[in-house]
Amino acid sequence: MTTTAVPPTAPAAVAVAPHLGPDLDPEVALLLPEGVCRVFRVLPYAVHDEVVLVAAAQPGDPITTQVVADLVPGTSRLVAHGELEVSDALDRLHPGSALAETPEERDDRAHLVSLLTAHRLVTDEELRIALLEHARTGDPLGDILVAHQTIAEDVLVAALGEIHQMERVGLADADPDPELAHRIPEPLARGLRVVPVAQTSAAVLVAVARPLAPADLAEVEQALGAPARQLLANRTDLDQLLQRVHSAHYASVATQHLMETQPEVSAHQVFTGAQKTVPALALIAVVLCAVVWPFTTLVVLVGLCSLLYLLVSVYKFRLTLRALGTHLETDVTDAEIAALDERALPTYTILVPLYKEAGIVARLVRDINALDYPRTRLDVKLLCEEDDEETIARIRELALPPHFSMVVVPDSQPKTKPKACNYGLQLATGTYCVIFDAEDRPDPDQLKKALVAFDRVADNVVCVQAKLNHFNQDQNLLTAWFANEYSMHFELVLPAMGAAESPIPLGGTSNHFVTSTLVELGAWDPFNVTEDADLGIRLHRAGYRTAMIDSTTLEEANSHLPNWIRQRSRWNKGYFQTWLVHMRNPLRLLSETGLRGFMSFNLTMGSAFVLLMNPIFWALTTIYVLTQAGFIEQLFPGVVFYAASALLFVGNFVFVYLNVAGSLQRGEFSITRTALLSPLYWGLMSWAAWKGFIQLFTNPFYWEKTEHGLDGSAS
Amino acid sequence: MSPTGVQDAHPVTDAVPDASVAAVLTQRERLVRVVQSVGRRPRDITRRPWESAGIFAFFLLAYLVFGYWLVVEMHVVGFESLDRLNRALMIWHNDPAKLSAVGFDHPPLVTLLIAPATIIPALGSSLGVVPLISAVFAALTMVVLNTMLRRAAVALPLRLAVLAALGANPLLALYAAGGASQFVWISLTTVAIGALFAWYVTADVRFVMIAGLAFSVASLAGYTSLLWFVLGAVLVAGVLASAGADGTEVEGTTVGFAAPTVYVIALWTVLNLVLLGNPVAWLTSGRESTRPGTDLDAAQILQQTFELVLYGAPLALLVLPALLVVGAARGNGFALWLAAFLVVSIATPAVDVALGLTGQPILMRDALPVLVLSVVGAIWLARSAGTRTTLVGAVLVLALLVSIPWTFRAMKTYPHQNLESAFAAALSSRESQEGSRTVSGSTVGVASEQTMADYLSTHVAGRSSVLTDNAQTFPVMFFTGDPALFLDRIDEGEGPWQDAADDPAGAGVDFLLLSIDTEEDLLSRRFPEAVAGTDPLLPEIFRTTRYVLVGVPADYAPPAEDEQPADQTEPSTGLGTTSTDVGLTPTGGDLP
Repeated sequence: MTTTAVPPTAPAAVAVAPHLGPDLDPEVALLLPEGVCRVFRVLPYAVHDEVVLVAAAQPGDPITTQVVADLVPGTSRLVAHGELEVSDALDRLHPGSALAETPEERDDRAHLVSLLTAHRLVTDEELRIALLEHARTGDPLGDILVAHQTIAEDVLVAALGEIHQMERVGLADADPDPELAHRIPEPLARGLRVVPVAQTSAAVLVAVARPLAPADLAEVEQALGAPARQLLANRTDLDQLLQRVHSAHYASVATQHLMETQPEVSAHQVFTGAQKTVPALALIAVVLCAVVWPFTTLVVLVGLCSLLYLLVSVYKFRLTLRALGTHLETDVTDAEIAALDERALPTYTILVPLYKEAGIVARLVRDINALDYPRTRLDVKLLCEEDDEETIARIRELALPPHFSMVVVPDSQPKTKPKACNYGLQLATGTYCVIFDAEDRPDPDQLKKALVAFDRVADNVVCVQAKLNHFNQDQNLLTAWFANEYSMHFELVLPAMGAAESPIPLGGTSNHFVTSTLVELGAWDPFNVTEDADLGIRLHRAGYRTAMIDSTTLEEANSHLPNWIRQRSRWNKGYFQTWLVHMRNPLRLLSETGLRGFMSFNLTMGSAFVLLMNPIFWALTTIYVLTQAGFIEQLFPGVVFYAASALLFVGNFVFVYLNVAGSLQRGEFSITRTALLSPLYWGLMSWAAWKGFIQLFTNPFYWEKTEHGLDGSAS
Repeated sequence: MSPTGVQDAHPVTDAVPDASVAAVLTQRERLVRVVQSVGRRPRDITRRPWESAGIFAFFLLAYLVFGYWLVVEMHVVGFESLDRLNRALMIWHNDPAKLSAVGFDHPPLVTLLIAPATIIPALGSSLGVVPLISAVFAALTMVVLNTMLRRAAVALPLRLAVLAALGANPLLALYAAGGASQFVWISLTTVAIGALFAWYVTADVRFVMIAGLAFSVASLAGYTSLLWFVLGAVLVAGVLASAGADGTEVEGTTVGFAAPTVYVIALWTVLNLVLLGNPVAWLTSGRESTRPGTDLDAAQILQQTFELVLYGAPLALLVLPALLVVGAARGNGFALWLAAFLVVSIATPAVDVALGLTGQPILMRDALPVLVLSVVGAIWLARSAGTRTTLVGAVLVLALLVSIPWTFRAMKTYPHQNLESAFAAALSSRESQEGSRTVSGSTVGVASEQTMADYLSTHVAGRSSVLTDNAQTFPVMFFTGDPALFLDRIDEGEGPWQDAADDPAGAGVDFLLLSIDTEEDLLSRRFPEAVAGTDPLLPEIFRTTRYVLVGVPADYAPPAEDEQPADQTEPSTGLGTTSTDVGLTPTGGDLP
């Protein structure tokens, strides 16, 4: 594609009227998107000798020439036209368009460009790319340049100060009077990004990220009860100041909100009185029966365990069979993603809890920047714990642009990921939000897919769960098993649960929420160590649903056994916690979820109990095979024996094969064979389950930290 | 891609170098190299559950009604079916109830499948239940064939015509309605091949899994399916390799295909080792052998094979060459694979006989898999015919219709058969075949068994009060509906049973149920005089043409060692041993 520029009166060979009359051919005119036309003041208007003639207000501008050459198919030629003529023609072509700029906006942009180019702060290429994004998204050019780290935020603030003739203020070490700082209520301060920093006799000096609109300024002054004078500040510094000012409030809400507003679904109390009494009485009854009818009691217990095995197995098998037969995820095509108008994209909050993960921050930043979403509409919260000085220092060192916001969570108990997420959620500005772990590598188009999915699914779907899998599955046997398990869980089990509208225990990351609904639900339970699973159940109980999308986030699979056991024991402990919380009032749960949901919840959580039982039954089977001990045979009379045999010979293999099926379904052929060794993995799972079960009594809120970055690609 | 078509308006500078980003592929990037369709369902025929349900219901009902008439009214019933039913009955109602009653000498699936129907003894011990399993699986076969026909774009009327013409084939109808176990493995193998058919057409990896699972279940119903399974595994690997799949994909897919069958066989082998002490007992004792071994030369085997195809599945004579021509001339790979499957199905009985793996000649029922596979091959030919699909479909219908009288006539005279001639006679005469003779000389019917069972049910009470060799008297046990009446070789195993046979009164039994056949019945061999009714110490209580019931007085003392008959060889040991090595043929209406 080539483009040349000619004056309007030049070659006689160009046998077309230079005036952009009302008879423009729309087909030609739409060769360039409206946004590009308006930003670069160009308009294709005719085709002559297979050359597209493009009216341009600045035909000699190299950036405009390059953009037109890139976007107009075939050969094009820029023809000089007056700016007003092009502008009028665009307005006629797109009457009432929301993309039309005011002269002030255009002047401000031109002013900014001239300032930056005059000081050689941007190259033509950088400017071209930023202007194209501006044309696509409509976001301020300065913010785009900062988001791409073309210029620093301080440079932009200086430029804006120059353009708007405003004073600036440095907030890095600001320590405003607390009383003054709190004069603007937190929601207003957060929403408008404004903090009172000083007071004079005439006005309150307020630090602002961008000049406030008159209506916003009036609201601020009303809150202050005094006139306000705006001082432009660095957005990152302003965010940090906001956090410092309101940290006590954020911390309190993060820890206590759910506990105080919905104590019945908070795991701060592990066992209710009834949950202590009933099992204790049952245990006494079992012991008494065991004394009076020892053998019969054992047979009944074995029968009950076999029944639980059978129900859990049949339920999971049914789910996976359904998923194998049909594509159950909400599918979003490339065309649908391409058709999204980026100007209409909402701000998307990404919450990333970090603890002792300084080593992978750089990789995290890179992967988030690789997302196909305008950075100016990203609100990335890097959630750090106050005592994690290394990670905090690393983030500061990277001098990230303002769409990354470091959130430092004050050190307090419980020190859990959900508490950090709750803290970060209060600062979220996105219409939607998602959690990613530090080591996550989501598909680049995942946010857009989630948006399209939210648009398509029923109104009560407030959560969209993406699939999780691993990028280091070939590292060792453990990671391959982990990938087998995830393949089955996220390719088969969860899609089937989503399609059946069953309560879904959400995966730890890549769950996308409607932010307002998440807040309304009370967000995550800071006392639950599988807050994700718990939240999935709570939103179901509230009448909301979760859908699955066909997009994958690759995580780091735990490659070290002790680390894996820690992580898995936490998951199991969390499942026990979640079961206990929601079974405090089984009848209420039943009425809220319906019988199918109730059964689904119990059978899903029941898998954690099955892991506890496994070693006992494996031991019995082994002893029987080796010794043919008669007493074991007598423990399995009639139907119990047949059910147990079916589970042993058929059930076990079915689950092994479902791991194979999940891997095949995902196209992970390299780990198909390791799936055949899954029973060994189940042994490890049982080990972790017992650890988690014991910890439920000894240290229920302790967060077994998973160490990341063990795959060798941290940098 | 953005709406403006501008793709690279993104990163100007990144925070950090992208040293390792290329090492991690997104799912989309990874799948570019995958030959098969994974993660999503590719374009395929739409599901028509009601059509499938309709076809299933029609054939199930048809074969059940026909089977009821055939078995209950015409008394054309195979002892093999009664053997499986009796084993199933023993799973629930023996004393003690034992899963090992399934036995290790036959593929266990049929017994396990029929087991639920025998939970209620009155239902489970009636002849009416005999056709159930074969009818279900025959109907399933028709559903699978219909799906294949849909994938071949054969129009509905023609599809129905094909199914009707095949369903009316007399050989197929006999085995579909008569309760024979053959249809179980044939059906499951057809499911597997149907899945491979679908996989070849759609590249959907899920069909490989379905094929693998179907083969694994089929191997529990008939070991012959293992040959087809091996061929299927080669097919999967070969097709993938020729399509350019990398080694990982070939290996992973083949593992996914093979794992279920390998597991099933490994498990079965381990169970044989643990419980019988012989890991390959399922192979060595599983063959049905009642007739003396056949000593046929190659020419005779070839002739029998040709006659089998000619009379039992003449369609194969059209389809096999056509598959080879289409495969070779048009580079149609799947046609060649189906030809290979067809050749294997034709050759298997011949190889069995040639290697002496079976003591039987090539039986007419061996044509059944050949017939079904021929239809599958013809369906593929129809699909490959492009615009002439309808023509090929019509030829298939015609060929199937023509073969009906041809095969029906052959059934009357074919020398190596089970109940085919009785079936043909019943159809022709509409008269009960009770007491009639088959071409191979066996007597048809179960009146003797029913009469003895009625007597026992009326006159005998008490658990384990009748000592018997269940391998020979299972039809009587079945008709009583109460296996707990008997002290059999499964109750406590071979050792205790032998002890009871040594000293029946000491074991507390009141009666001995003996078959007249003193060759195969271990108990009859011990008490030949009682069988003849001449043992003064064991008075004859009741006798039918095939069985005799003798009383065991409380003071009965077994004869001294040197007085016992000399030819009492030890029975084969092992859990669940019943009919095969030592018993009557479960394959037809032969006399015990």
